[in-house]
Amino acid sequence: MSDKKQEVLLSLNDVCKYFKVSGGTLKAVDHVTFDIHKGETMGLVGESGCGKSTLGRVTMGIYSPTSGKLTYKGEELDLRKKKSRFSYAKKAQIIFQDPYASLDPRMTVSSIIQEGMEIHKMYDEKRRKERVYELLEMVGLNREHANRFPHEFSGGQRQRIGIARALAIEPEFIVCDEPISALDVSIQSQVINLLHDLQEKLGLTYLFIAHDLNIVKYISDRIAVMYLGNVVELASSDELYKNTLHPYSQALLSAVPIPDPSAEAQKKRIIISGDVPSPINTPKGCNFAGRCPRACDKCKESKPVLQEIVPGHFVACHLVEPQK
Amino acid sequence: MAKDMNNKVLSVNNLHVSFDTYAGEVQAVRGVTFDLHQGEVLAIVGESGCGKSVTAQTIMKLNPMPPARIPEGEVTLGDVDIVKATEKEMQKLRGKEVSMIFQDPMTCLNPTKKVGKQIVEAIVHHTHMNRADAKAEAIKCLSQVNIPNPEERAQQYPHEFSGGMRQRAMIAMALSCNPKVLIADEPTTALDVTIQAQIMDLLAEIKEQVNTAIILITHDLGVVASMADRVAVMYAGKIVETGTCEDIFYRNAHPYTRALLKSLPSVDAEKKDRLVSIAGSPPDLLDPPKGCGFAARCARCMHICREEQPPEFTIGEGHTASCWLLHPDCPSGEERGEKDV
Repeated sequence: MSDKKQEVLLSLNDVCKYFKVSGGTLKAVDHVTFDIHKGETMGLVGESGCGKSTLGRVTMGIYSPTSGKLTYKGEELDLRKKKSRFSYAKKAQIIFQDPYASLDPRMTVSSIIQEGMEIHKMYDEKRRKERVYELLEMVGLNREHANRFPHEFSGGQRQRIGIARALAIEPEFIVCDEPISALDVSIQSQVINLLHDLQEKLGLTYLFIAHDLNIVKYISDRIAVMYLGNVVELASSDELYKNTLHPYSQALLSAVPIPDPSAEAQKKRIIISGDVPSPINTPKGCNFAGRCPRACDKCKESKPVLQEIVPGHFVACHLVEPQK
Repeated sequence: MAKDMNNKVLSVNNLHVSFDTYAGEVQAVRGVTFDLHQGEVLAIVGESGCGKSVTAQTIMKLNPMPPARIPEGEVTLGDVDIVKATEKEMQKLRGKEVSMIFQDPMTCLNPTKKVGKQIVEAIVHHTHMNRADAKAEAIKCLSQVNIPNPEERAQQYPHEFSGGMRQRAMIAMALSCNPKVLIADEPTTALDVTIQAQIMDLLAEIKEQVNTAIILITHDLGVVASMADRVAVMYAGKIVETGTCEDIFYRNAHPYTRALLKSLPSVDAEKKDRLVSIAGSPPDLLDPPKGCGFAARCARCMHICREEQPPEFTIGEGHTASCWLLHPDCPSGEERGEKDV
């Protein structure tokens, strides 16, 4: 398993995605560099507005980056070209957050799942029908469900349809954009188990975007923490939780309530004041400086860059020195 | 101030709430009983559709009637029975005796009115203060919930506030007349974790300062663990287990409570361990099951569970659960041939 993980599937190099808005430039993703290894689950966490969904969409080609390079299996992707976007879509798929909004209410489940295969001209019509049944059974639904409409399903079942649709064209890489946050606790675990089983069976690579840190820790091999367009910390999930180095990650992790009253009573919560500032016209220095309890003058002057502190553990903070 | 177990502020007794729809009668709440004491935080947990929000809205009588109906039950707040109260009487109670904060603060604040003015409105309605005094009071309320520059902020509209600030403004408004009971319906669900921590901190602070009893409605068991004194677990319109926070987390007796807690990844869970999931989905309350609501999804379901509704069994002081497994005549797990209990 370990040597398999070292193979880089998708590599992001200095990727930026800016949006022009009235009042300036919204830097949704600002100079992000990291690799996603084959067969791993990469967690991406952060608060709303930090750019994690935008980054997810950039990695799967819905948005083309303002600057920077995406390399898939050693080949550079030029997502401005329709042709390369089309062929990349065959390899990368996405599961959306809201299972109510992401399925067309006027299409049957069967046509929702088949659509991708039709577009990519996969199989003949008879084989496609069979594939729909296979996929429905794979995600824990029945073949009888194929001719129903989305409104006949519960939230958890709809999310399963969304997963079946993503799997239909046999992708290698799936972006899971908060796939469980709209679901109930007991249904969440069903979907998590399903994603986990599918990964083992099909050798998928996930980019798992979420704000529920307990779930992300459970499912991910490595986690990237984002704040205001930047990746501030990146490490394996055990390392990140045991040896949290960035002040923002520390506050974020301590803010998560643990479902255990005695652990809650003992825990010291770091409460950071204020809200996430607007990503329009961000400050010159570290984006977190305004809320950071440990900010110094240097933080307000220059932006810290992501550097390797311990092997495999990257932090972007002036206060954290590389350990030798 | 510590919670006072003798000072009951609210008692809900065998409350039933139904909605008449075209498809038939939806029995959203099917016999809920609980008491709330001064200065205590009671958390009501459950999945969506279990009736937790309907219970809370009935205490405020916010459900439009019809389609909602209260076929039986009592809700006693002080010396008023809310079920029998008229709309006029309710208007005197809402905001003064019991007030509520909602999940989505943006849809609950009036976007066309300045925040300060909206708080003044509540104060003037319930007290005999003049506008100038009420305005000063409103600014005091805003500073109580840690809003910086309250004078300036009172002159702003809700859209100028961030999500966390709006929730603070809602709390300020809810507390402006010192209610005995504060109902918080998923107060942090729409917020980010760092903001959630701020709001939870604020609610804990308020509980200490004003000694208001809080009903906290949530599905996040982490929030429950950090705030609640007592917990009521709801499923399919009924409270299936109630007890102190420790009872529910460490000494739980109902299979649903257990399954719910197990379905969360624990702090030191390994990736290899599968999460325990509850198969199936909650029952349809248009046609509620004859027996226990959880029977169809329960791993330890017995014949009687499908036939008859379980009564409430007392496990310890203040800790009760409704499950046939707790009946003294219930055969043990081994006798029923269970592998893993």
